[in-house]
Amino acid sequence: MARVRRIETPGELPESEAIRLAQAGNAAAFERLYRLHNRRVYSLCLRMVGNTAEAEDLTQEAFLQLFRKIATFRGESAFSTWLHRLAVNVVLMRLRKKSATESSLDEMTEPDEESGGPRRDFGMPDLRLSGSIDRVNLQRAVDQLPPGYKAVFVLHDVQGYEHNEIAEIMDCSIGNSKSQLHKARMRLRELLHESMRDKAREDRKAAGNAGGED
Amino acid sequence: MATVNCKDFQGRFELPEDSPRSSSPGDLSVQAHLRDCPSCRSFIEDLGKIRAAAAQLLASDPEPPARIWFSLRAELEKEGLIRDTPSKTPSKSWVRELFSGRFTALPRPVLAGGYLAALLAIAFGLSGPINSRINRQRWLDGTQSSTEPLSAQLTSAEKASFSSFPASESPVTASLHQNLEIVDNYISLCENSVREEPENELAREYLYEAYQQKADLLAQLNEQ
Repeated sequence: MARVRRIETPGELPESEAIRLAQAGNAAAFERLYRLHNRRVYSLCLRMVGNTAEAEDLTQEAFLQLFRKIATFRGESAFSTWLHRLAVNVVLMRLRKKSATESSLDEMTEPDEESGGPRRDFGMPDLRLSGSIDRVNLQRAVDQLPPGYKAVFVLHDVQGYEHNEIAEIMDCSIGNSKSQLHKARMRLRELLHESMRDKAREDRKAAGNAGGED
Repeated sequence: MATVNCKDFQGRFELPEDSPRSSSPGDLSVQAHLRDCPSCRSFIEDLGKIRAAAAQLLASDPEPPARIWFSLRAELEKEGLIRDTPSKTPSKSWVRELFSGRFTALPRPVLAGGYLAALLAIAFGLSGPINSRINRQRWLDGTQSSTEPLSAQLTSAEKASFSSFPASESPVTASLHQNLEIVDNYISLCENSVREEPENELAREYLYEAYQQKADLLAQLNEQ
């Protein structure tokens, strides 16, 4: 992970030691592991489902699954990667269950072009996203992404994971991770443009109404 | 030099921040296209803005609420994954460890006054309208399953503390007993509030807080 580095304060149990003790059923070690990673897992869940109650539920479920399997952890991959893999699976499973029909991974990442998915008009006169992007608008757009795009976008652009880590978390190739991220950003750009156009239309309408009242 | 159209360019473009070692946009045809195409220039700029805005999102994320851990711990205990639960005779250290104290530095009269104030605050704070939500029972079950082990541990800690005391009480111990009584009342008030409004996050936070205050008092009692 490039962006965020965790700092362990002196006297705190190192992660490797906490894993060893948790494998033996030590309560303080479980808590230590939870405290080391809870924020990122909660953040991932929150960004994915956009609902605090559900994010809490999913965070608990992800850690529960992790602690149930902790005795099998042999350190082949980074602990946080393993945990995030579990968390992403828990979230995607929940989102699949929520959708009316069973969705394949492709359906969770590729918008259905025949059913009027986003259409790109290359070379058309283009709006530019003015100024910096508002956090609320961005989150609203992220909420509209298909789950697969959303997961890669949140892991890479929000949480700072590298493509090789995401490939391990999502069980896909590095190329696939890059491609999903690119598509996610392009879709976000379209969604942000749409919201800009909607706002401009509303502003014009409001100005027209105000003019008519004069 | 092969020409590049917008579709090709936008389809394969990578932000330099994503792959610092590649010199994107690489070949001359791409550079020429970029020079002549305002649409693709704005495309690059927008993607950079999206990436920068996304990086700010993590910092704005809220802390996960304490109840997730309480609930998780209760589940771990229930499933037998935690195998070193505190012994029947609790020591000061585990009480302190389990409920990191916030009030230990305060003089006892301040504590008693504080608890009374908290009692009044919660009485006012929780007297709002009841939200009707479908998952009331789920919240109630979740809260009960997460608080019952804490409550049981505190009761056993309390018994152990009292059994080790001499018959005659010092004024300080008497004051602690008085505070314990206040906190017990506070706990039952919070428990009632949670039962009435299981989905009220504030009520559940107060309940956990009340348990923590009791644990703190027991730790002080042990130190006497």
